[in-house]
Amino acid sequence: MADRAHLQLHRRKLHDRSIALVLVGMVLLMPPVVGVGLIEGDIAGIPIPLLYVFVVWTLLIIGAAALSRPLRDSEDLVSSQDAPDNSD
Amino acid sequence: MLSPNILLLACLCYVALLFAVAFAVDLRTRKRPIEWLHSPIIYTLSISVYCTSWTFYGAVGFAARNGLEFITIYLGPTLVFVGWWWLLRKLVRIGRAHRITSIADLISSRYGKSPSLAVLVTLIALIATTPYIALQLQSVTHSYQVISGEADGIRTAFWVAAGMALFTILFGTRNLDANERHHGVVAAIALEAVVKLIALLAVGIFATYGLGGGFGKIFADLPPEAIRGAGEIFGPRWAILTFLSATAIICLPRQFQVTVVENIEERHLSTASWLFPLYLLGMTIFIMPIALVGQQVMPEGSNPDLYVLTLPLAEQRHDLALLAFLGGFSSATSMVIVAAIAVSTMVSNHIVMPVALKLLAANHAVSGDVRSLLLISRRVSIAVILGLGFLYFWISGGSDALAAIGLIAFVGVAQFMPSLLGGIFWRGATRAAALSGLIVGFVLWAYTLFLPSFGGELILGPELLKDGPWGIGALRPQALLGLSGLDPLVHAVVWSVGANALVFIVVSSLTQSDALERLQGALFVDVYRAAGGAPSSISAESANSEDLFILAQRILGAEPARRLFDEMAKIQGTPSGLPHPTDSVIARLERELAGSIGAASAHAMVTRIAGRETVGITELIDIADETQRLIVTSQQLAEKTVELESAAQQLRTANERLRALDAQKDEFLSQISHELRTPMTSIRSFADILKDSKGVSAKDRKRFVSIIHEESIRLTRLLDEILDISRLEAGTTDLELEPIDVNAAIATAVETVSGMTTNTGVDVRSVPGPSGLSVSANADRLRQVLINILSNAVKYNRSDTPEIEIRTENAGGIVWIDVIDNGGGITPEDADLVFEKFARGSRSGNDPGAGLGLPISRAIMRAMRGDLTVKFADDGTSFFRLRLLRHQ
Repeated sequence: MADRAHLQLHRRKLHDRSIALVLVGMVLLMPPVVGVGLIEGDIAGIPIPLLYVFVVWTLLIIGAAALSRPLRDSEDLVSSQDAPDNSD
Repeated sequence: MLSPNILLLACLCYVALLFAVAFAVDLRTRKRPIEWLHSPIIYTLSISVYCTSWTFYGAVGFAARNGLEFITIYLGPTLVFVGWWWLLRKLVRIGRAHRITSIADLISSRYGKSPSLAVLVTLIALIATTPYIALQLQSVTHSYQVISGEADGIRTAFWVAAGMALFTILFGTRNLDANERHHGVVAAIALEAVVKLIALLAVGIFATYGLGGGFGKIFADLPPEAIRGAGEIFGPRWAILTFLSATAIICLPRQFQVTVVENIEERHLSTASWLFPLYLLGMTIFIMPIALVGQQVMPEGSNPDLYVLTLPLAEQRHDLALLAFLGGFSSATSMVIVAAIAVSTMVSNHIVMPVALKLLAANHAVSGDVRSLLLISRRVSIAVILGLGFLYFWISGGSDALAAIGLIAFVGVAQFMPSLLGGIFWRGATRAAALSGLIVGFVLWAYTLFLPSFGGELILGPELLKDGPWGIGALRPQALLGLSGLDPLVHAVVWSVGANALVFIVVSSLTQSDALERLQGALFVDVYRAAGGAPSSISAESANSEDLFILAQRILGAEPARRLFDEMAKIQGTPSGLPHPTDSVIARLERELAGSIGAASAHAMVTRIAGRETVGITELIDIADETQRLIVTSQQLAEKTVELESAAQQLRTANERLRALDAQKDEFLSQISHELRTPMTSIRSFADILKDSKGVSAKDRKRFVSIIHEESIRLTRLLDEILDISRLEAGTTDLELEPIDVNAAIATAVETVSGMTTNTGVDVRSVPGPSGLSVSANADRLRQVLINILSNAVKYNRSDTPEIEIRTENAGGIVWIDVIDNGGGITPEDADLVFEKFARGSRSGNDPGAGLGLPISRAIMRAMRGDLTVKFADDGTSFFRLRLLRHQ
């Protein structure tokens, strides 16, 4: 019982993290927050707005990659070998 | 300039390679699936069909004109894929569960398999896709012209269109089954995805490090406008563009095709969730440098849309230019091929098939191979779609701003969004709402964006654009209701998508949905929970298996249809012949057909053959919402609790009984030890005397030995009795029952004890039962019991004139033998006690018996399915009653 509840909690946390990642990405890449990147100047020769967008983007990719496998394992996904065949 | 011949040769070789790959994969897959083709990487690469030549060439132009804004086109899809768990996973699951063939199929399926919705979505998709295809033709043509110096663009475009049509027809319409998946095409698309990424990276690296001298140098002394664009970059337009691209990655027919329809395994989506954004990052990382270097290096007035090609050309890097050309060619062809497959599937399933059905309606059982009709219609559709694209390109003469066309298409397909999202997350969404929302959105899109994009040359004249129809300023296409000052694109999105969503929500709340629609809605919204559920039902009695079989043959082909029907018959347990057309068979057939021709058409065809359409009671029960499921679950839980409680109660009772039995056993053991101890003690003491005392006379010696002998006999008897009773009580002794004459048995017993009775002067009287009355019993054992009772009655009788009366009666299959004596009886307190082991009635006095006689007798009677009890007469006297079953 306790294991099941624990697993359930773990799964819910994973799903929460996945939606949190999207929300964070949306906020960071949408106005007005994305305007923060509009600071003049550059870091290592790359203008800050450009750098800002690409860094956020890269972090999103890393976050998605980190969540990808746990999410996949958290639920049985359907594959063509066991396609849902519920005709009878 | 490269020589046109070399360019043409390279092109042909590349196309031949694509054909070969598609052909080889198709051929192999038919035999057995190819492992690596089922990898998530191939899936991700096929999704990159999102990057068309609009990305390959156009993104640089976009960046040159509007700065960083171009990136929004890739941020939207990134967000959608990062959040795959919430939307894409559900779409893919629904696509698999319902054998969805296109986005039109999905929307029409969700809203009760509505044919009108399917047609509407197909038309919008067709209208939005045609300019997009024209854009690809144009980019290939332009790049060909630039690199070869060829002047006649129309002819080039024509041959490109024809070649793509051929490829698409060859590999996109080979078969109709297998859920509309095209392995050969997907493999070719994946190859093209790799080529375009490598090409763009190569040009980017060349431009950045070869020409620009590295990132730092390119960005040095850059005016902020170069990054920021002309206007306020991070404003509403930024948000709208991100929203549009996020919508497009789901709603574009070709994206739906590769992401949902061609998905082989759901878990591939989890890899694509980060790999696809990474691919987009790779495609865009050098866009900005290329644009900036192009502006610095290239002469004033050169087209920034072609920098990817013209930069290497200007530097005399022909090899790189050729690679770039092939990259652009790849981007264009992959988009055109997938879009043509997706849209032609919609057109043939939702427009051609229904019309053909109407024409065939008169005689559905005769002739007319629907399968070949379907294939032909799909091939013709592909040709027509590419023809339309070519026509559009020819008429428009090629606009310079590629990006505009792409965005117009994005807004067009964004109209699907409210119906799609509402359909899979909200049960209350209705067909009427989807229809009206789509129509309103589509009309507003055409009026505010699509038609004005022709610059006053199509339907809407330039005056109308400027002053509104009939001079009414409030109706100006690009400033509707006076909403001016906005970017035309933002304006169009706000109006069309906004009105679409609003109408959708309001109409949904005002209209009712029919049973099939509610069922489909429930199945779509709860796709994870509904492990199955028949998608629809048709009244079965009117369906005819043969007609259904003919239909299946015509659509699936003879062999697959036979296999399907054999399998269904086997499931039903019919060894040969066709399966009985039950609801589940029809639902299964409908789903299989839907994989080829779409849900609405499949539903229409099967329904037509099967007769009238009804939704069964079971389906209506299925629709029962979550609350109902919860109620059922909690009821089950409550039942389980009650069961558990009763089981616990039973356990407690059993435990108490065991405790009591345990106590009884202890008592029994101590009694046995006590009973055995008495004879043993006397045996031992006499044996001691005999052993030690030498002065014992011979006479005494003899007497002592005989006492020891008697006591041993008593001991043995006691042990025998204990063994007997334990066997009887454990039920290990199986008494053989036979018919026994009661009167004769009683007479024998009385005869046996006659010695005893005569000596003591007891008068024995017997009132016999009807002659020939027989019971089912064991003769020896019954005599044992009778003798035991009688001898007790003799032994313990203290009356002066002792008498015993034996009375036999019978009623209703039961026979009683009452043994009544006048010896004083048993007190009611003793009535139960006498049957306890080793207990003796208060009458017993100094009797030497072990006290096992009555318990044994009762055990015997019970083993013979009778009983032995003490009864009390009205005057208070007691008697023994033997009960037996009468032999029938």
